[in-house]
Amino acid sequence: MIFGGCLGLGVWYRFRMNGRIRALRSLRYILELLAGEVRYGQATLPECCGHIARYLSPPFDTAFEEIGRQMAENTGRSFGEIFRQEMDRVFMSLPLTEEDRQAFYEFTLQTGFADAQMQLRIIEQCMERLRVTQEQLEKGNAEKGRMAVGLGAMGGLLLILVLW
Amino acid sequence: MENSILQLFPLSTRCLWQKTAREQEAIQEIRLRAGRQAILYRDGREVFLDRQGEFTDSPEQARIVPQKELEELLEHICHYSPYAFAEELRRGFVTVAGGHRVGVAGQAVMEGDGSIRTLKNISYVNIRVAHQKKGAADGVLAAIYAGGIPQNALIISPPGCGKTTLLRDLIRQISDGNSYGRGMTVGVVDERSELAGSFLGRPQNDMGMRTDVLDACPKEIGMLMLLRSMSPRVIAIDELGSEGELKALGQASACGCRILATVHGTDRRDVERRFGVDTKEWEKMFDLFFILGKEKGKCIVRRIEEKGGRIC
Repeated sequence: MIFGGCLGLGVWYRFRMNGRIRALRSLRYILELLAGEVRYGQATLPECCGHIARYLSPPFDTAFEEIGRQMAENTGRSFGEIFRQEMDRVFMSLPLTEEDRQAFYEFTLQTGFADAQMQLRIIEQCMERLRVTQEQLEKGNAEKGRMAVGLGAMGGLLLILVLW
Repeated sequence: MENSILQLFPLSTRCLWQKTAREQEAIQEIRLRAGRQAILYRDGREVFLDRQGEFTDSPEQARIVPQKELEELLEHICHYSPYAFAEELRRGFVTVAGGHRVGVAGQAVMEGDGSIRTLKNISYVNIRVAHQKKGAADGVLAAIYAGGIPQNALIISPPGCGKTTLLRDLIRQISDGNSYGRGMTVGVVDERSELAGSFLGRPQNDMGMRTDVLDACPKEIGMLMLLRSMSPRVIAIDELGSEGELKALGQASACGCRILATVHGTDRRDVERRFGVDTKEWEKMFDLFFILGKEKGKCIVRRIEEKGGRIC
């Protein structure tokens, strides 16, 4: 049972690492969709959120629908505030680090551009930061994953020996 | 539309505008200048907004508007995406939900060809509060209809005498139908988003059930577009301003469309002089001429002239 538990811990760690990569991929996809809406539709950021909701899978779809809805309601709260609140809820169930979140939120802090190209550039910069993180993770992922499972198993064996 | 001006402001300053929003019907304009007092035009009279959001006549007690607040306001109005309103900002105003018009001024950034690229350092904001007066056209409906069909009419008026309000209500009543005629399709070319007060393409004013609005489109192009695409029985435009528009109106008229238009001026002669087009030409297009003016501060229809100069 001890061996199984430690092995499971290793597998969970590996799964979590893969999960982070998948989540980063999703975030980049979201930013790509947003950039597309800005580029071709010249839509406002809240509008973009409402539009792209239909192309997203759970849990992102409902969060983006909610952002679009709340902004349309016009409660006076800023786009950045609403965006963060809704996305924080989504991120609670995702294995992302604080840095990943901040890289994603970056574009909501800089929204006052009169030129669409500038706004696009900010979104692209966020995408770039997420891409670099994702690539770094992917590079060492297979090795680290194997190591995590191996360490889990060995740790389990060691613990059995110690307890014996 | 009630209280809709409150929605123009971000949450941080909404508490200051509660009273203004409650008295929205009496407010014509809100003028905000960076580092200056907030001024409102209420029932045609100038009042200041104090630090508690109450009205005051004393400029000393008035609240000074910080530049940062104007920036936040503008960002909120533009849905945190000013780039999506680039064209509107270039023109100097943004029409917002509720049909209100937010005029802006600051520093112009010019293109090489002398046109304006955008406005930066916006330090002046003028919110023109939209008021739709349903029933404003009740008094002229009888004159405009002949045999159940509206006649071609030109509304001539100096600024601020209610020509847009009158035209808006005429459109609504002709579109919905009234005791003088059945409802009919009306096409509106709303170049400055003032008639319908469209926001994201949707009219914020009641324009009637059979009205199609082409928003923010130059009148000259828009009229011909509407003719081709929506086949209206009546075409309406606000503020006739160029010979090209006059020509397009002529074309619409030749297609059998009824025409409703407004133009700046004090009387027919003034308008004829300005356009350099004689009476005969105008009378080819229009059957009726409404001359508006003001009496004791109230907007009134001074005269209704028929073709040939006969006064109704």
